[in-house]
Amino acid sequence: MVIALDALTVAIQPGITGLVGANGAGKSTLVKILLGLVDPTSGTATVFGHDVVRDRDAIHALVGYMPEHDCLPPDMSATEFVSWLARCSGLPAAASRERAAEVLRHVGLFEERYRPMGGYSTGMAQRVKLAQALVHDPRLLILDEPTNGLDPAGRDEMLALIQRTGHDFGISVLVSSHLLGELERICDGFVLIENGRLLRAEGLGALTEATGTLVVEVDGDAAAFTVHLVRMGVRAQQDRERVLVSLPDTADEQALRLVYDIIRDAAVTDNVGVLRLERRRGHLEDLFL
Amino acid sequence: MSDPVRTVDDTAIHDLGYRRYEGPRIGAVGAWRALYWQGLRSMFGLGRSAKAKIVPVFVMLITLLPTMAMLLALSLTKGASPIQYGVLIGGQLLMFVLFVAAQAPELFSRDQQHHVLPLLLTRAVSRTSYASARVLALFTAMFIVAFLPLLITYVGEIGMAVDPIATFEKMGARIWPMLAIATLTAAMLSGVGAALASWTPRRAFATAAIIGAFLVAAAVATGLDDLAGVEPRVAELVDPIRALRTLVLILFDEKTRGLELNPPAPVSVYVALELALGLVGAAITQWRIRTVTA
Repeated sequence: MVIALDALTVAIQPGITGLVGANGAGKSTLVKILLGLVDPTSGTATVFGHDVVRDRDAIHALVGYMPEHDCLPPDMSATEFVSWLARCSGLPAAASRERAAEVLRHVGLFEERYRPMGGYSTGMAQRVKLAQALVHDPRLLILDEPTNGLDPAGRDEMLALIQRTGHDFGISVLVSSHLLGELERICDGFVLIENGRLLRAEGLGALTEATGTLVVEVDGDAAAFTVHLVRMGVRAQQDRERVLVSLPDTADEQALRLVYDIIRDAAVTDNVGVLRLERRRGHLEDLFL
Repeated sequence: MSDPVRTVDDTAIHDLGYRRYEGPRIGAVGAWRALYWQGLRSMFGLGRSAKAKIVPVFVMLITLLPTMAMLLALSLTKGASPIQYGVLIGGQLLMFVLFVAAQAPELFSRDQQHHVLPLLLTRAVSRTSYASARVLALFTAMFIVAFLPLLITYVGEIGMAVDPIATFEKMGARIWPMLAIATLTAAMLSGVGAALASWTPRRAFATAAIIGAFLVAAAVATGLDDLAGVEPRVAELVDPIRALRTLVLILFDEKTRGLELNPPAPVSVYVALELALGLVGAAITQWRIRTVTA
């Protein structure tokens, strides 16, 4: 037996949440458990308070799923396909046709929606996949690798569409990707998993807030400058052309200003140019280090 | 988002596009109906590409042509040569096998081939309701295919008679064996077809498996009575098509030399055999759909 997820415990908040992990980390398995497509061998999961094994019907009415893989029958048109799936979600036939037309327009598919889907570009196919996930007006969208196979422009459009859907229409989104950078732009929170275990789950703010390190980029003798700072009682460390200064862990403005003053005076005395002076921000990539 | 023009453009699309849906939801019942109708329609190539219509149209033509020819002969001879229903449907059974072999994968393999199953199973569709809607769609389609030529012959024969009322009194009761035969044919073919097609996402494999299964059964039955010396009426129970052909002759009370030489088994044995094959096939399909990875 292959263990895809191992003792993973996480609570996901409303809003847009990124599910990040390398290929094979267990993202798709987690998604399939939440959708009730795969039964967990142990443990429990709930979606909007509904158990994924016992209350599947309740969850399915509230959730829209965009799978990672190709799922469009080539000889059906997008209109037919999406309205058929709306009916399979329990919408009446007339309402299904109406909703299908609306969501296809929402994702930016116009005349081409009447053509067989076999001739669609990857970008168009991904839009149809998003539309079918939205057609029954879910409260939560689960998108598995929605930018897979898209070129940079298509990627940007898809991300903008997800962001808009999540923020403007009050639909929560759980979006998985192995690319951290693209999710950084649209997500409010993150769940990071690796080898089926939870690495971290936090809001974006907590991950990228200002840290206690000041980066000083200098033009001149960085080594001598660092020595000078240390002699003045500042905790400094040379990093090639940069000097990393650990700020005192305090909210005292006076103490912080003193450190800045020391740096300025030392730079004048040592005759080095200060090119950049900034508080270092956390990066999502740091989490994987 | 780095491109402001693009963002403005998107706004135009979305503000037109998304609205909440507050209307009624009819849940699992509506979903089942949608699956069943889509399945039944696609069995006849309706709402599908021209290519998907070739086999259904071909089979319908081939099975309806002899019907028309018989009716024509009947009208030319002024009813002198009565139509032999048993011979008529017996000769068409192979066409029905062709239909199920070509069309059952349309229902079962296609959804697996294009990975549509996960989309359905995350909606108001359970694995059980999916399997039952698909099997019943296949059964309905097979029933239509098997019953239509008989019905046209029946209506034609009565309608073209010199005295339709007297003819109806004479052969009106024939509707029951017709319904029985169409039901049994449809049950057996859809059960076997669904059970085999649900195992593979490859349509060509599924078609080959269905045709192969009936060919092997026919060969084994022939082998048993020709070579192993098993009684023909026992041996033919191995071949559901041959069993059906015999049953048809018994039900329409049409004597052939073969039947007189080898008295057949009781009617109930044939009925039980065909029904059992249909039910076991449906059960296997259910089990397969319950365990297939979505």
